[in-house]
Amino acid sequence: METIDAKGKSSREINREIRRLMEQGSRQIRVLSPRALHNLAVGIVEPVEIAFEGSVGSYCGGMVDGPSIRIQGSAGWGLAECMMSGSFVVEGNAGSSVAASIRGGTVVVHGNAAARAGIAMKGGLLVIEGDCGYMAGFMMQKGTLIVCGNSADALADSMYEGTVYLGGEARSLGNDTNVSEPDEQDWSFLRRTLARHGISADRPFKKIVAGRRLWNFEKQEFGLWKEVL
Amino acid sequence: MCGLVGYLNKRNRAEPLGEILYQMTSGLCRRGPDSAGVALYGKPQPGRLRVRVKLGEQGDFQQEAVRLVEAISKITNVHASKTINEYQTLAVDAVDPIVLERQIERMSSHFEVISLGSRLDIIKQVGSPEDLNATYPFRSFAGTHGIGHTRMSTESRVDLSHSQPFWAHGIADLATAHNGHITNYHKLRRQYEQHGMHFYTENDSEIIGKYLALKLSEGMTFEQALKASLQDFDGSYTYLAATANSLAYVKDPFGFKPLHVVECDDFVALATEEVATRTWVDSGYVSREAGSDEIAIWDLNEVSAPTKSE
Repeated sequence: METIDAKGKSSREINREIRRLMEQGSRQIRVLSPRALHNLAVGIVEPVEIAFEGSVGSYCGGMVDGPSIRIQGSAGWGLAECMMSGSFVVEGNAGSSVAASIRGGTVVVHGNAAARAGIAMKGGLLVIEGDCGYMAGFMMQKGTLIVCGNSADALADSMYEGTVYLGGEARSLGNDTNVSEPDEQDWSFLRRTLARHGISADRPFKKIVAGRRLWNFEKQEFGLWKEVL
Repeated sequence: MCGLVGYLNKRNRAEPLGEILYQMTSGLCRRGPDSAGVALYGKPQPGRLRVRVKLGEQGDFQQEAVRLVEAISKITNVHASKTINEYQTLAVDAVDPIVLERQIERMSSHFEVISLGSRLDIIKQVGSPEDLNATYPFRSFAGTHGIGHTRMSTESRVDLSHSQPFWAHGIADLATAHNGHITNYHKLRRQYEQHGMHFYTENDSEIIGKYLALKLSEGMTFEQALKASLQDFDGSYTYLAATANSLAYVKDPFGFKPLHVVECDDFVALATEEVATRTWVDSGYVSREAGSDEIAIWDLNEVSAPTKSE
């Protein structure tokens, strides 16, 4: 385990230090006092473990492929944006657009997530132990979003594919959603997945998928389209 | 893209407010290199008003200051008066803010009241928070609450008048700072101008204070006015508003602009990015992002939970 003391260092200096340690063969790195700086650990394409002992700012771990990143604090906007594979654990809260457009990998937020969590996900898994903000799962194309707490307005709006599980109440659902009771296979997935992160699955989960009415334009359903657009 | 910060001591204690706002705005200055400003709420002076006036863009400010004091002396007593660059700071016996402002502006078209109130001082200029403190040292200022702003101009001029925070005009001690873009600004401004309201800048953020002042004068409470603004403003906005004894935020229904909230037993700190509060103090709290379509108000002695618009 190598340690970087980020005190007094800029984002660029911290990122260079991480890369220097990786080149030397380090596979476990911890970063002290990241002070919510932006763009930390972006573009890492190796299976390295990084622990930030404190909050990170916006766009932490964007466009990564393979690392395991733990944040012992909160994260700003766009955490793990466009991740291909890897895993993120946030012990605090996440800002807007957490896991936006991820293609694979896992993001777990133990606190709450702000607006547009999991927007345009193209794969992967996003777990939010607390509540999620406005328009979570908007235009999701693939992958799974599990919200254990409550949702703000417009949950799962205009999804193509993918699945959203909601453990609490939604202030409102988005356009074109189909809500059902999870079947035995869903429950087994939820229990297995949440247990892995120490989260109880003992909640009245609902399963939400695309209603598929927006997949093709139907003249008879012009009202629905007018609402969406 | 601007930066906002706010701070309030929930136990109504005076704090090193200037230093706190300086640290937090410095942490955000990459979000706004054009200008910096702070609205500070100090010890109330019963029966007195603190007034800050911009004397103009250039010229003999000392001479202008003499004219200003003469004009004010006709309607109230001037107890203190000091000139720093284009700023004139005054302490006067309390009079109706509207009457006082009219008297000042009647004297010269260059005069602009930057702030007015029993507790409020707004200090702002082009440049960084560091430059601001070099010109108008405010780091040693003690107070209970305040807001700060770092500006990156997108639409209007970069000068002192267009910098933030804005005093709301017409109502003592009401100040606002805004991050975003009010897209129905021109429509609202036209309506307000038809009712005789005067605008000092081309900055869309100026409309927020004007809006709140209007709603308060129509009889709404501060909370009602903030909530109503969620319906009446279009576009992207997170704004902070402060009065003589409270601090509030409003975040638009789409959550276009970030705002981090740190709440402890003793204080609440608000900032566009967590890096601002971490620059000031880096331990002992958890930061969360404010919800969309949400307002929250903290009074110096009483706290209300965040509420959604109806």
